[in-house]
Amino acid sequence: MQPTLTRAELEAYLDEALPQELMATIEQRLRDDVELARTLATINGRRDAGLHSLGEIWRRHRLSCPGRELLGSYLLGVLDESAVGFVQFHLEVSGCRTCLANLDDLRARRTDEPVAVDNRRKKYFQSSAGQLRKR
Amino acid sequence: MAAMAPSDQLLVSRIRGGEGDAWNELIARFEGRLLAFVEGRLGRRTAGEDVVQETFLGFLTSLPNFEDSRPLESYLFSIAAHKLTDHLRREGRRPTLPMASAGSNSQWEPPDHARAVSSVMRSGERRGMEESAIVAALAEQIDRLKSRDEWQKLACLELLFVRGWANRDVAARLGMSEQTVANFKFEFIARIRTLVRKQGLPDDVFPELQADA
Repeated sequence: MQPTLTRAELEAYLDEALPQELMATIEQRLRDDVELARTLATINGRRDAGLHSLGEIWRRHRLSCPGRELLGSYLLGVLDESAVGFVQFHLEVSGCRTCLANLDDLRARRTDEPVAVDNRRKKYFQSSAGQLRKR
Repeated sequence: MAAMAPSDQLLVSRIRGGEGDAWNELIARFEGRLLAFVEGRLGRRTAGEDVVQETFLGFLTSLPNFEDSRPLESYLFSIAAHKLTDHLRREGRRPTLPMASAGSNSQWEPPDHARAVSSVMRSGERRGMEESAIVAALAEQIDRLKSRDEWQKLACLELLFVRGWANRDVAARLGMSEQTVANFKFEFIARIRTLVRKQGLPDDVFPELQADA
């Protein structure tokens, strides 16, 4: 059975903010589900008209996200027990993509080859520094 | 996480001044998390790096319009999300919707990127005021829950509002009674309504505030 998607989840889909598996499920469904495509288009239309929802503002401003420092403590296993449950919930049930990316990055910083990271950063800098001078 | 940290404000100000060191610092600080965000969806490192590169260029393009009140990290992630969406569309993975998509409207596109923005521009100021009011109200309530270690209540509210789940589904997922979920929701909506009204805005702007628990 196909999962029922809430309006808030469809808004999150449009913002590329749902868990990856759910993003892929919706993309797949959109190939032959005309009604779903219409619903998404309607949400886009409402946004273009200047309407917004409490949920999307909450998500966009990351109002309940644990924050990078807390995620670092979580990773090190030094977070207060009372907060651990919420961090796990936020990552695994809410499926916050931004916090999951932060956690992956914190893990990668322990293991990534420094030379590879340096090269990547240089590439970003060199491809954009010209734009910087135009500011 | 509702406003830009002073250290980020300073960094952005230095970048606006054309300081290469500041730009390098921003890249070093954020590129890893942005890459993790896009790579998970793309499954390929090279394509992920391309999207991150476009994200940084998009940030510089939009810098004159970037509001200092907005958290820097959230802003960068929102640009990355748009760039990722564009990339997935080009690859044919993300179907295009039947009407003009809000997903392609961006101040971080180059200036010659044409788009009909009249309705958005007309309502932009009002929308900004409403958004600021609701952010302040939500942040106050969420901080209050955190300071009291009311984490389960916060989890409950996150599922109700951010994921939009029904009371019964939230109750089942969190092992609470439906009545407890309804009580949390009712109490939260009442507080947010009061805070929104205090800021001189009508609470009917947000349909969620009209919902019965």
